[in-house]
Amino acid sequence: MTKSTALVAGLLAATAITTAAVAQEPIKIGVVTPLSGTYAPIGQQVRWGLELATKEVNAAGGINGRQIQLIFEDEEANPSVAVQKAEKLFEVQKVDFLTGTVNSGSTLAVGQTAERAGKLIATTVSFADSITTDKCSPNVFRVNARAGQQSTALAAWVAKQKPKARVYFLGPDYEMGRSTVATFKKTVEGLGATSAGEVFAPLDSKDYTQYFGQLRQAKPEVLYTSVAGNDTVRLLTQMQDFGLLGNLLVVGASGTVTSQNIGAIGAAADGFGTGVGYSTQIDSPENKKFVEAFKAANKADPDLYGADSYGLIYFYKAAVEKAKSTETDKVRSAMADLQWDTPQGRKTMRGGDHQAIQPMYVVRVNAGQFKIVDKVGGEEAIGPDECKRF
Amino acid sequence: MADMSSRSQKPVDRLGLAMRASHVLVAIFVVLGLICAAIGAANQDTFFLRLATEALIFAGLALSVDILLGYTGLLSLGQALYFGMGAYISALVLKEVPSFWLAMGAVLVASFVVSLLAGMVANRVRGVYFALVTFGLAQVAARAVYNTRAIGASDGLIGIPIVPINLGFGTFMSSSPAPFFIFTLAFIVILYLISAYILDTPFGRILVALRANERRVPFLGYSTWNARLAAYVLAGVVAALSGALYPMLRGFVSPELLFFATSGNAVITVVTGGVGTLAGALYGSVILTVLKSVVGSMTEHHLIVIGLLFMAVVIFLPKGLMGLVRPRIERMLSGGDR
Amino acid sequence: MGGITDYIQFVLAPQMITGLALGVAVVLVALGLTIIFGLLDVINMAHGEFYAVGAYLALALGASGISFWILLVIVPLVMLPVGYAVERGLIQRVFNLPDRHVTTLLLTFGLGLVIEEALKIIFGANTQRPPTPISGAVELMGVLLPSYRLFLIVIGAAIVIAVALIINKTTLGSLVRAAAFDSNMAASLGVPVKRVFAWTFAFGVALAGLAGVLLAPIYSVFPTMGRDFIFLAFTVVIVGGMGSIAGAVVAGLLLTQIQAISSLIVPPVWSDPLLFGIMVVMLVVRPQGLFGRLGHG
Repeated sequence: MTKSTALVAGLLAATAITTAAVAQEPIKIGVVTPLSGTYAPIGQQVRWGLELATKEVNAAGGINGRQIQLIFEDEEANPSVAVQKAEKLFEVQKVDFLTGTVNSGSTLAVGQTAERAGKLIATTVSFADSITTDKCSPNVFRVNARAGQQSTALAAWVAKQKPKARVYFLGPDYEMGRSTVATFKKTVEGLGATSAGEVFAPLDSKDYTQYFGQLRQAKPEVLYTSVAGNDTVRLLTQMQDFGLLGNLLVVGASGTVTSQNIGAIGAAADGFGTGVGYSTQIDSPENKKFVEAFKAANKADPDLYGADSYGLIYFYKAAVEKAKSTETDKVRSAMADLQWDTPQGRKTMRGGDHQAIQPMYVVRVNAGQFKIVDKVGGEEAIGPDECKRF
Repeated sequence: MADMSSRSQKPVDRLGLAMRASHVLVAIFVVLGLICAAIGAANQDTFFLRLATEALIFAGLALSVDILLGYTGLLSLGQALYFGMGAYISALVLKEVPSFWLAMGAVLVASFVVSLLAGMVANRVRGVYFALVTFGLAQVAARAVYNTRAIGASDGLIGIPIVPINLGFGTFMSSSPAPFFIFTLAFIVILYLISAYILDTPFGRILVALRANERRVPFLGYSTWNARLAAYVLAGVVAALSGALYPMLRGFVSPELLFFATSGNAVITVVTGGVGTLAGALYGSVILTVLKSVVGSMTEHHLIVIGLLFMAVVIFLPKGLMGLVRPRIERMLSGGDR
Repeated sequence: MGGITDYIQFVLAPQMITGLALGVAVVLVALGLTIIFGLLDVINMAHGEFYAVGAYLALALGASGISFWILLVIVPLVMLPVGYAVERGLIQRVFNLPDRHVTTLLLTFGLGLVIEEALKIIFGANTQRPPTPISGAVELMGVLLPSYRLFLIVIGAAIVIAVALIINKTTLGSLVRAAAFDSNMAASLGVPVKRVFAWTFAFGVALAGLAGVLLAPIYSVFPTMGRDFIFLAFTVVIVGGMGSIAGAVVAGLLLTQIQAISSLIVPPVWSDPLLFGIMVVMLVVRPQGLFGRLGHG
């Protein structure tokens, strides 16, 4: 009798240990993001957002009892490197999920790698429309707002501020720059504005003064620009030096003025408006808590990249808990039309194209701070589902 | 008692000896590669074999830099132009017709024509000017590709299909890690052998003579212009054919393949491996890939480590790593001759 | 008829004047490069990074309260020993090797990489901008030009004249020109050639740093800023003539004017290729550039 009791006890103990061991196996999330190079500040925000959310989720018991483990790799903002690192994370570290890519070229290439590896990825930064329209993929999800959503919100606000305005467009001459301008142009012309002209400057132009002649001649009331980073600093400060900001309403893409370059732009950024999916000014208890925790951990404010990356962990958590598994197909089905809470409010992941639907805000810079001036509902801002692949 | 009479009166052919030493090194390289392939296949590994394949593809680019730098003494800062061109043409052909041979053929023809035309411009100048002209050509091409929507613009092209490669005695898919690795290894070694052969011929020796003393060569009756142009075209074709393999491996191409960083990396590879050895390009590429991967996982400041190492190599090890090893092999070979 | 005068007054003239301001900036950066290139026969691929170092020094020192005008003097002085150390410590080591051109190019290429990364590590990757020392704008022939840009044009001219005077009219300058023309002969005449080389390199580096200080308020400061100018600077040096100060000035102003005017006609993206085409034509037709080499002209 004692022997069989001992045997049963032993078996129970063994099962308990094994189950505990399996339960403790962490869920690995790979992060391929630029940690060096020009986009390093964005990668930094992505990292901060992911780490904060992971810490919170792990402290609350993890996902299905399993802790989340983040594994970072530097993609150097180069799609070739991103693909290589993504494959390393998929095949060697065997991550369950991947995120972090910043430029759309990297997101598309890594998305294809994920398809071939049978894994899922999500982007929290890339806002090129193509990622969830003509180049959509069943394995790629986007939790941040795309260019179309940003344009819709911003154009609506511009039309209210300056009805039937003459708008001049200035963008950097590459895919993102051109397509953001094209999207906004279409939207705002549909609301009654007219185009006063457009010019596309080479990326990394140091001197925008050569376009000021044309700009002056066009006499616009509104300037839309999709430059980013250093280019924005130069454009706006040079415009200010040349007295062009006086009567002009300057608006732009979400990446044009961010916490990374607003310091350098200084007073020239005042009045700049953009459509974004996030602002630290969002007046909700969740957001206030998030901003405080983020500031305490990183001594910096979160921007849209940090906030969206934070929200991603909760998205994945909700999906895995719904699917009760980390298997690709199950998680993918769970993600379709999934709703989850973020500092920006409740987001819905549209199943038809894997694009997140969320309320959009128009923010305007005032004395170095972004202030919310308008809000557009999620359903209104999201465009039609143009993804035909699935 | 020294045996003077048996000492060979034949002058030692330094160049031929150096070449044969390189062949030995490459043979060792192939053996090591095959061992890695076997281990990888046994473990059903995907990542490391593909990483190694990528290292080999970029080794082909480094090879093209070495053809110019090591033999004509001309530093090209824009070989990425041909590499990227090969990659894009291969991608565009494969997207329409998934035929390996068609893609390769298209790349061969296109790169021959383009390098001939570009060579006629670039070879009018030497030294620093040549470096700047090649740099500029690559920049212009990169910009053109970056801004052309038809070929994907700044996003690049995804959706290059997996191709069956039919070698006559068997077919395998470009997505199979081990077979594609061995194929790429063979491909790059063939490029190496072709280059080594051409450079070991009288034509090749003209190039070396050019490098040593350009003014005298015409007096010997040889044309410097033809020699340098031919070397440029060879380098361009080698780079392009290597680049053509890239979309087969990764399924996409992007304008970053034409950026200066790609050309710069190739130069770092060649200098580290050993200028003028051809084998140095192969070893250098593998070593650098491993180094970047390892250092990159340890710190995000890997570029500064690579930069410092590179400077150290230029100052203290001007003949590169092969420069350390090859003389020993040369001695072994010539010792065997006696 | 009104259309053409309107065009000239409101589009072409302003374009040319702002092109002039840009031209002065380019000349300042190219000046140090052409001196180094012309004398030492060294391609300083790290020249852009020295320009960046000057800007960052201005930023750091300026943040601790030092006025801009004092920085204009301090930063180049600080960069002199830096340049000297680089030349003696790094470049001289590979200078006497047979493939000197290639080796120094590679060495300075590596150095540029290291400096750029170091700046990123020390100062962070974000863009920063020192305040513009002179605010306000003036009206010049109907065109509104920021006062600081006018200041740049004036001080740029002053610097160029000063450098030209130093090189051509002083004893020091004649030592430099002698060493450039024939270093062996100069050495046998008692010119301390090695030190002359090192000081000249240091001088070129200091000029680059000075350009960094002057241009930081309008072009802002970030780790990869060295790449802004480098291709254009090399083009100016080649078109103007290696080592020729007059060449750097003429080519710098001319090329930026071409760039400014051409951007009115063709999409701006093609202005760089256009300049590149001019460089290639110059190399083919007249490789010594417009004005020829330092010491030889």
